[in-house]
Amino acid sequence: MNFQSPLARARGLGSVRAGSHHWWRQRVSAVALFPLTLWFGFSLSLLPQANYAMLTHWVSSPWNTLLLLSFILLSLFHGVLGLQTVIEDYVHTDWIKIIGILGVKLVTAFLALASSLAVLRIVLLGGHG
Amino acid sequence: MRDSLSKGIFRLPLNSTLKLGKSWPAPQNASKIRRIEIYRYDPESGENPRLDRFEIDADRCGPMVLDALIAIKSEIDSTLTFRRSCREGVCGSCSMNIDGHNTLACTKAMDDCRELIKIYPLPHLPVVKDLVVDMTHFYAQYASIKPWIETQTPPPADRERLQGKNERGRLNGLYECILCACCSTSCPSYWWNGERYLGPATLLQAYRWIADSRDETAGERLNELEDPFKLYRCHTIMNCTDTCPKGLNPAKAIADIKKLLIERQK
Ligand code: SF4
Ligand code: SF4
Ligand code: FES
Repeated sequence: MNFQSPLARARGLGSVRAGSHHWWRQRVSAVALFPLTLWFGFSLSLLPQANYAMLTHWVSSPWNTLLLLSFILLSLFHGVLGLQTVIEDYVHTDWIKIIGILGVKLVTAFLALASSLAVLRIVLLGGHG
Repeated sequence: MRDSLSKGIFRLPLNSTLKLGKSWPAPQNASKIRRIEIYRYDPESGENPRLDRFEIDADRCGPMVLDALIAIKSEIDSTLTFRRSCREGVCGSCSMNIDGHNTLACTKAMDDCRELIKIYPLPHLPVVKDLVVDMTHFYAQYASIKPWIETQTPPPADRERLQGKNERGRLNGLYECILCACCSTSCPSYWWNGERYLGPATLLQAYRWIADSRDETAGERLNELEDPFKLYRCHTIMNCTDTCPKGLNPAKAIADIKKLLIERQK
């Protein structure tokens, strides 16, 4: 028998006093991604038949490096926030939820490191390292 | 194993499978026949829910869907179960899913419905019988936001707590909510996470007390709401605003709460 009152069940363990940051970061990263995505799409469209040398040259120009890194890292950041929301929405088994969110964060962090390293290798070693 | 998997995870529970039920033909000499299909379920009977079809004479009953339900109950099948009280859209008890929309049976005209009027209980709440759903958790969530004025300052000795015209104006679009639950039960987030997500009705009410100039606990109220599940399951899908039979905008009230939570950090 369950004698807990409906109010006790509705209150549960109370508010965790968090969530605003997550929500705000999602909005801000979306807004910031808008011009970055435009820039990225526009730049790619200017390089339709680029060969390896042209592409590494493009990546190595300081502004491109900076914007490219911002674009990659911000997309991954925005993506991880979104995936966390999706998992919280649809996964109702606690341990799968916890492992899922942790997993998404670790994989994204790994992707962020890997892609930054790739860009920096091209910039610092000219892509021939 | 595979069978139990497909039944347990990928199929609805057995008692969600609908069957076609009885059909009641129109009374003889009916002049304006309306066809109405109603969800019938009695969990205690052990039988599956069914869809009964009724034909009524719209010329011999009032214009609203609730009038038809009352006519059916008193003239055709007295076991039909539904809630109603005020029959003018102020009590919130006759909320149900009519013609694919959550709304109040007493303010929904039959003429505004499709040819076959389909009536179901509010979605995603346990059914007590037919169109009556169990609203215990919904009301408990409402109670959890303390829907009353909380103050530290004692009331003036000689009068009520005063409110200016502008201050009172801020409650417009909020105080009219009749807690019919049409919005909450139309919200996908409330379907998936209703145990913890408060839902649009309760959040609109929570904002109603935050916005009240006489209340002295806006900060505490915001503290209680700042939670990934209680508040932030709202993804601005807008079903709530679309369906509210009182024309209110719970999605905006929720957005205002989120705005205040950011604003107080600056
Ligand atoms: S906001 Fe509208 S739909 Fe929701 S409970 Fe209040 S009156 Fe009903
Ligand atoms: S706006 Fe929010 S509360 Fe309204 S239906 Fe969408 S998710 Fe639910
Ligand atoms: S009977 Fe009161 S709102 Fe419909």
